[in-house]
Amino acid sequence: MQSAQQLINGLMLGGILAFVAVAFTLTIGMLNFLNFTIPALFMLAAMVTWALSTTGAHVFALGLPWYAAAAIGIAVAVVASLIIERFTYRYLKARYGDATEHALPLVSSLGFLIIFEHAVITLWGTDPQRLVLPFRDMDLRFAGLIVGIPHLFSLGLAIALVWVLSRMLKRSRIGRALRAIAENPDAATLMGIDVSRIVPVVFLITGVLAALAGILYGFSYSTVTPYIGDAVATDAITGMVLGGLGNVWGAIVGGMLVGLIKVFAISQFGAEIEKIPVWGLLLVILIIRPTGIFGKSRLGKGKF
Amino acid sequence: MNGAELSLADVSKSFGGLMVIDHLGFTVKRGSRTALIGPNGAGKTTVFNLVSGVYPIDDGKISLDGEDISMVPPAGRIGHGISRSFQNIRLMPHLSTVENVMLGEHWRRPAFSLARGRRAVEAAKSALADAGLQTYPGQVVSNLPYGIQKRIEVVRALLAEPRILMLDEPAAGLNSAESDDLRALLERVSARGVTLLLVEHDMQFVRQLCDHVVVLNFGQLIFEGTPEEVHCDPAVLEAYLGTDAQPKAVQSDNTAQAR
Amino acid sequence: MSGYMSGVLAVLLINTVIAYSVFLPAAAGLLNLGAAGFVLIGGYTAGGLTSQAGWPLAPAILVAGLFAGAVAFVLAFPILRTRGVYMVLATFAFAEVVGGIYLNIPSLGGATGLSVSTYAGLPVVIPTTVCVVIFVAWLLSTRLGLAMRAAHDDENVSLLFGVNLRMVQVAAFTAGGALGGIGGALLVHQFNFIDVQTTGVLFSIYVLLYVLIGGTQTAWGPFAGALFFTVVPEILRTISKLDPSMQFLETGRFIVFGIAVVLIMMVRPEGMITRTLIEKVQGSFRRLATRQKAV
Repeated sequence: MQSAQQLINGLMLGGILAFVAVAFTLTIGMLNFLNFTIPALFMLAAMVTWALSTTGAHVFALGLPWYAAAAIGIAVAVVASLIIERFTYRYLKARYGDATEHALPLVSSLGFLIIFEHAVITLWGTDPQRLVLPFRDMDLRFAGLIVGIPHLFSLGLAIALVWVLSRMLKRSRIGRALRAIAENPDAATLMGIDVSRIVPVVFLITGVLAALAGILYGFSYSTVTPYIGDAVATDAITGMVLGGLGNVWGAIVGGMLVGLIKVFAISQFGAEIEKIPVWGLLLVILIIRPTGIFGKSRLGKGKF
Repeated sequence: MNGAELSLADVSKSFGGLMVIDHLGFTVKRGSRTALIGPNGAGKTTVFNLVSGVYPIDDGKISLDGEDISMVPPAGRIGHGISRSFQNIRLMPHLSTVENVMLGEHWRRPAFSLARGRRAVEAAKSALADAGLQTYPGQVVSNLPYGIQKRIEVVRALLAEPRILMLDEPAAGLNSAESDDLRALLERVSARGVTLLLVEHDMQFVRQLCDHVVVLNFGQLIFEGTPEEVHCDPAVLEAYLGTDAQPKAVQSDNTAQAR
Repeated sequence: MSGYMSGVLAVLLINTVIAYSVFLPAAAGLLNLGAAGFVLIGGYTAGGLTSQAGWPLAPAILVAGLFAGAVAFVLAFPILRTRGVYMVLATFAFAEVVGGIYLNIPSLGGATGLSVSTYAGLPVVIPTTVCVVIFVAWLLSTRLGLAMRAAHDDENVSLLFGVNLRMVQVAAFTAGGALGGIGGALLVHQFNFIDVQTTGVLFSIYVLLYVLIGGTQTAWGPFAGALFFTVVPEILRTISKLDPSMQFLETGRFIVFGIAVVLIMMVRPEGMITRTLIEKVQGSFRRLATRQKAV
């Protein structure tokens, strides 16, 4: 029974990690850069939702109902994401095209990560905060196992969203445009695709995914701090690499796997071992099979 | 320096489904000054890439002085005496002129020697002076004009003391004075016995420097001969001008030569 | 020099050493987000040697550097199979694994960290830093250094001119690791403490940012980066103490740092100090000297 419960817990964590992994993999697949602001958006949405939905002495304590707070949380993250697009990806593309300094968007995103993290700390401090959902205490209990409703919801939502996303990428005009841009941005421009209008779409989707994941994390685990993004980022990146960079379904499977591995490792060896299994796994994969379980990363050159 | 003889035998190379070099064979004689010409897309730069090892060949054989070098990895080819320049300038943008040029003789130093001594710097500077570039030693190359950078690339390739020097459009973008300087430099290099192989579009430059021309189209050899013979060959005219080759073009070339 | 100032100077110099540990691989074209890993190795090794084996400071620092360098050497070969973002992630992962290992060594303090009593003040930090700077400047002036910088600018062309890319990159990575170890050894004896928590993800990110913002083209870059990001926050903090209305500067200094990173990447991505800048400065000095002579 113990193991079965751990399995459930692992899958629940995995569901949330899957979201974030998909956000990472989408940006790397479509835009060839590792977007370190995703964990910041994750955390931002969660913190904003907390701040707005509770009352108290902190800034923006408006005591809104949870769905309104969550909606605004997502909106804030999306706006932040679009600002980031404007000042990292778009700006740098315009100046340097496809040239040598590929690592710039990555470094800029690190800058933004620092900005957002400390802006949140300045506004709300570093203490852990409780994020409460009305039906938080409703768990599904069967056969002695506990399945949290928010967790289940997040898993289901993750799968549904990714399914929609894959179909969109395959079928819709925007999806085809995105894939063309991933292959070769210059050729895409020559084919009449307005890259500067389409790329923000990726950032928008990324923002929504990261925000949803953050809010669901907050509801599932009830506690939010300015550092939850960091904790999740590393696991999500491992999930992304496991599933293959750019592979959206791979990211889901990878995220789930990492959730399972993490929960099992902690239950067997204690929390202190935490870093080693996931990071060790990532290191080994990167060296042995960087393209992940699912084979070739189909997408182009200079991955930064 | 003894020049090397380069031989391609039945060499083929495809990218994706496209056969870019098609059963190509020709020989560049020791000590000759050969031009490799052809319309855009004929495969000239690909030939350079295959000979210098940037890409492996799919089929056939590349030999240097009779020795098969087709399997030698790129870092090993310079040891066989193959040195080249590039169509689009590929200098190290963040290094100075002297530093760029010194990369040429990197391979000639013993494996673990660390020192970059005064002698090496002096050698680099005098090679630059030899090419008329003595005013630029310390400058970071990305700030220099195109024509200067092109000639720096030639000096870099020369410092490797090659047995065959392959230059990809060395005269492109040069004005007539620079072009004359370059030709004089290459004549001095050739006089030392080094084999020259150039890709060039500037036919006047070719006519004044080269003694042999190899013409490619669609990855195949369509003609080999002297620069004078090249202009009259119908296959060559067809490749450059299309099937309705105008006799006029030949006429004006003949009058130019008669002068 | 007041205690406060000497403290700031020591931190600046140690940050410089650690910045150089990331700079060397970066100058060879390898993006390294694993500074924390080598700093931890060096710090725990040196700290363990002085506090538990009674070693004197100097040999402890030396051994820490050598050990970190050895780890870097062994790690270099598998890591160099990766490129680009994969390499960034692999070095990141390495640093976290190292952290995880030290967290689980109770004799070195485990999660609570390692405390040491030996103190390394300026008399130790300054000469060590000077040696490191001289070493880096010398390395860059050698044939190996030229090969490294060529590899950074254009790997393929470097290959064609006979550069042994693999060995050059291994050398850069190993030297960087050793310097990280030395930096860590200095760190643990300056603060009399080291732990995994504070020397983690953010630490590595900050060091990489110092280096990239200072500029990877010349040996001046990392020092400029460390200077900018050690001194500016201190200035901001001092201002906020003097003028209470500027209190936000204290907590806001990281935000300023982040904004600076974004701005510099937009406006001057090569970093503050570039070859061209050094050329110009040298040129002005030369002109000044000739004018002096003429007078």
